[in-house]
Amino acid sequence: MSVEAAAALDDATLVARSRDGDMRAYELLVRRYQGQMYRLALRVVGSAGDAEDVVQDVFLTAWRRLGQLKDDGAFVGWLYRTATNRCLNVLRQRRPVADVELDEQPSAAPRERPDRAVEVSAQMDALAVALRGLTPEQRACWVLREVHGRSYDEIAEAIGTTQQAVRGRLARARAQLAEVMAPWR
Amino acid sequence: MEVTADYALPCGRDVEQVWEAIEVADEHTRRCPHCSAVRESLLVLRAATEEMARDRVEPPSDLVSRVMSAVRADARRGEVLPLPSAGADPARISTQAIAAVLRFAADGVDGVRARGCRVREAVESSESDPVIEVELGIAIVAGHTSAQTFDVVRERVIAAATARIGVRLARLDLVVSDVLEG
Repeated sequence: MSVEAAAALDDATLVARSRDGDMRAYELLVRRYQGQMYRLALRVVGSAGDAEDVVQDVFLTAWRRLGQLKDDGAFVGWLYRTATNRCLNVLRQRRPVADVELDEQPSAAPRERPDRAVEVSAQMDALAVALRGLTPEQRACWVLREVHGRSYDEIAEAIGTTQQAVRGRLARARAQLAEVMAPWR
Repeated sequence: MEVTADYALPCGRDVEQVWEAIEVADEHTRRCPHCSAVRESLLVLRAATEEMARDRVEPPSDLVSRVMSAVRADARRGEVLPLPSAGADPARISTQAIAAVLRFAADGVDGVRARGCRVREAVESSESDPVIEVELGIAIVAGHTSAQTFDVVRERVIAAATARIGVRLARLDLVVSDVLEG
C-alpha cells in the first residue's frame, strides 16, 4: 500500500492495527492528530514547552491503553479527553501563574487581508492573553467548545462535570472575555 | 465597567441573553447603552475567536519523531499496567516486572520451578482497580505433582500479586510444562 493510501485509512482501521503493535499505523494517527492536540494544549496551558509535553504524554498514554478503547472510531474523542486531563493536571501542579514565563505565540497563519492583518492579529493576541485570566476549567471549556467545536456532552466528560456546569462556565468565560475585548470595539 | 460580578447588566438583562440574540439586535438592545456595548464586545470576541479557530500554529517539526521514540521505547519494555495511585499522576508497572514477582512466589513452593509467565490486563481492569490474568508454566519435581502443590502455588501467587504489587489476580492458569527427576 502506498503512503497516500495508508494516510487515507480511517481511524478505526489504524487503531485496530496499532493495537496489534503496528507502529506505522500508530505513527499515522500521531501525525493526523498532533496538531489539533498541540493547539488545544497551547491555548489551555499557555506555554509551548508544556504543550509539547502534554502532546507526548497523551500519545504515549493512548498507545498504552489502546487495549481499553471499546469503540475504535472514538479515538479522537478519547484523545481530547486525555489531553484535557493532562492540561488541567499541568496547571494544578504549577506555581501561581505570575511565576511562570508564558511564551508569546506568534500566529503562523497567512492573512487573507493584509491591510487588516495588524489589527486582526492584535485582537487575537489580546484574546490569547485574556484567556489566561480565566480559571483552568473555564479556559478548557471555552477552548474545547469555541475553538475546537467539541460537544457539551464530550466537554462535560473531559472535565468530569455535568453539561449544565459546562454551560455555566462557558457563560462566565464569555462574559469575562467580552469585557477584556471591549477596547477593540 | 459594563459587566458586573454576576454578569447582570444595570438594565436587568445579562451577558448570556445578549449573546443568545447576537445575530439580530432587538429593540431593547439597540436602545439600551449597556446591551449595545456588550453586544459590540461580543462581536469583537466572536471575530477573534473565529480567527483563533482558523489559526494553524503547528507543533515543532520533530514532535512526531519524539513521540514515536517514546512509544517504541515503551513497546520494548513490554506492556505496562496501571497501579493504584493516590496522586494525580498515574503509576505503571511492566508486565515483565509483575511476571518476575509471580515466578519468585511460585519458586518458593517446595518442588516447583516457575517457567514462562504470561501476564495480561483483564478486561474489567481500571486505573483504580487493576486486574490481571496470568498463565504460569511450572516444572515440578517428580513426587510433588499433587493437587495440594497446585493449591499452594495458586495461593502464593495470588497473595504475591495483591501484597507485593497491588493488583488483583482474577484468573490463574497453571500449566505443568515439565516434570523433573527428583
